[in-house]
Amino acid sequence: MTASDRSGLAAGPVPARREMPGQARPAGAPAPGRARKTVSLYGLTFSLPMLLWQMIFFLAPLLFLVALSFWSVRNFRMEPDFNPDNWSRMLGRSVFWEAYLRTLLLSATAAIVTSAVAFPASYAIAFKLSETARRWAIFLMVIPFFTSYLVRVYSWQIFLSDNGIINALLAKIGLGPFPMLNSNFGTMVGYLTLCLPLVILLQLFSLIFVDRTLVEAAHNLRCGRLRTVFEVVVPAARVGLTIAALFCFILTFGDFVSPLYLGGGDPPTLSILITDTTKSGQQWPRAAVVALVMIATLLVIAFAAVRFAYKERGR
Amino acid sequence: MTSEPLVAFDRVGKRFGDFVAVEPMHLEIHKGEFLAIMGSSGCGKTTTLRMLAGLEAPTEGEIRLAGERINDLPTWQRDTPMVWQSLALFPFLTVRENVEFSLRMRGVGKAERRQRADKWLERMQITEFADRNVAHLSGGQRQRVALARSLVTEPEILLLDEPLSALDAHLKVRMQAVLSNLQRELGITFVYVTHSQSEAFSMADRVVIMSRGRIEQIGAPQEIYRSPRTRFVAEFLGSSNVFAGRVAEAAGGGIRVETPAGTFAAPLGELAAALRPGDDATFVVSDDRMQLSGSRPESGNALEATVLAEEFVGATAVVHLEGPGGEELRAQKSHDELARLTLSPGDKVWMSWGPEAGHVLPGG
Repeated sequence: MTASDRSGLAAGPVPARREMPGQARPAGAPAPGRARKTVSLYGLTFSLPMLLWQMIFFLAPLLFLVALSFWSVRNFRMEPDFNPDNWSRMLGRSVFWEAYLRTLLLSATAAIVTSAVAFPASYAIAFKLSETARRWAIFLMVIPFFTSYLVRVYSWQIFLSDNGIINALLAKIGLGPFPMLNSNFGTMVGYLTLCLPLVILLQLFSLIFVDRTLVEAAHNLRCGRLRTVFEVVVPAARVGLTIAALFCFILTFGDFVSPLYLGGGDPPTLSILITDTTKSGQQWPRAAVVALVMIATLLVIAFAAVRFAYKERGR
Repeated sequence: MTSEPLVAFDRVGKRFGDFVAVEPMHLEIHKGEFLAIMGSSGCGKTTTLRMLAGLEAPTEGEIRLAGERINDLPTWQRDTPMVWQSLALFPFLTVRENVEFSLRMRGVGKAERRQRADKWLERMQITEFADRNVAHLSGGQRQRVALARSLVTEPEILLLDEPLSALDAHLKVRMQAVLSNLQRELGITFVYVTHSQSEAFSMADRVVIMSRGRIEQIGAPQEIYRSPRTRFVAEFLGSSNVFAGRVAEAAGGGIRVETPAGTFAAPLGELAAALRPGDDATFVVSDDRMQLSGSRPESGNALEATVLAEEFVGATAVVHLEGPGGEELRAQKSHDELARLTLSPGDKVWMSWGPEAGHVLPGG
């Protein structure tokens, strides 16, 4: 065994490195204290149930979905096949691309609108409330999850319909009726119902950890109150804010309830398109194509969002 | 009458509810001086600095900057940049962007901003790190970024809140030299808060010693070291021998104080001028004025003490002793002299000092 072999084998835990004054860590060098590459058997044993679960209930169905997208349907029956027709048929239809663009836009709008509506609330809870009041606020944010999302969306119909509560009140002062149900507005109300509490909580947990000294330092360097929010608080909480918006995008992108019951379902979003496709002549393979495109889109968006969230300035 | 001081604290006090952080105080800070505010944690030194920066509003009194009342001026409208203990560099900005920050806030144009920032990067010798992420710098480099960021607008005053406390001893000394030189070259006022006696005494022109929200003494380092005005200061500095007692005689330019360790004489200083026989008094002798000898000296103040331990402090050593009344005493000696004395713990030894070496403070 040569000396270099031995030194390679002896690469155990390295003692914490002291930084010498006047000498920066070279950019790209591993941070001190990074975990070793080898996976310990102990850790593996504990992560095994999760790993198995993911294999059986995520990876396997996903692979099946890919296979399914190539099956054929004859006489309303599915047959295993390798038929690229489903892909060319679905991707060649303008209805599909319209639905795709529509879903993308709706979810992007939902992510932006929800983040914008949530931010003042989470900012106030994180920065202005006392410790006790903040705990109550977090508790209140959890309560909406007690009730099924479907029930909450149905109850919005009572408010939003043409002879619903809001239009009845508006009629008393001689306004309306405003059509709110079966529109993008309705869909957006549903999306907010779905995401707002979660987005506030996610934003809140990143804002709580923003170093207060940074805010004072900005003030001290002539940055006014409102400007500090955008110059310091938002950048410092960027990871949490981006992840919150990403969650909103993911949840609304696959949501089927709001666009159908509050948005009217016509023209369809991708999730509505999936149900329509399965209903029309047992076209499960074509529905699988839509589902796979959705999964691919979410993977790309999620990857880009996480990359953006953790992007560092400078070398 | 000297000119108007740059900063004046006029009966400025700060309470948080029932807690008095800073009792109403007077303090004048002059243009171009290096002032250190020193005290243990919770003494009100940081609160004082934060009031000057506008991060804390005084509950009474008036703070004036260049003659103008600034009590109600928010911090973002004051020219009182601060260097923070944690440095508070913006982790989402590069080194240059950090330095440019306050110029950008003032609406300075891009080209001028860059030029002025680059000048400071160069001056602080961090030009090569301009495009780095601040998280990737060493402690000393981050310190320099923090200084450049605060000084880039060329303010008249710079506030520093224990900026060196996170550095190791070696780097601390180097940064002290950087700070002292910078202050001298720029000629601007530095207000430096610290709990470290060595930082305060080695850099500052004047030192303010605070305790429990009150100013105990203001003066040049040598002056405070030689003649602490209160028992607290004498004990806080840690290099003095302090005896509590009663005035035995005060006449003819001299004063004699009777203490459990003996009766000692000192010149009648201005602080002790009002003392009459029978009054409580404190007798203070600096540890470098103490002589040690095996037998009682013929004249001067002397007492017999028991050696407890020797402490090595670089070029000299401090001998810790116990007086006849249980007093904790100390004497600073050269290693040569200690070698001649050959002391070991438990030995009895005579401590003595000349009548001019001690001084007397009113009160027990």
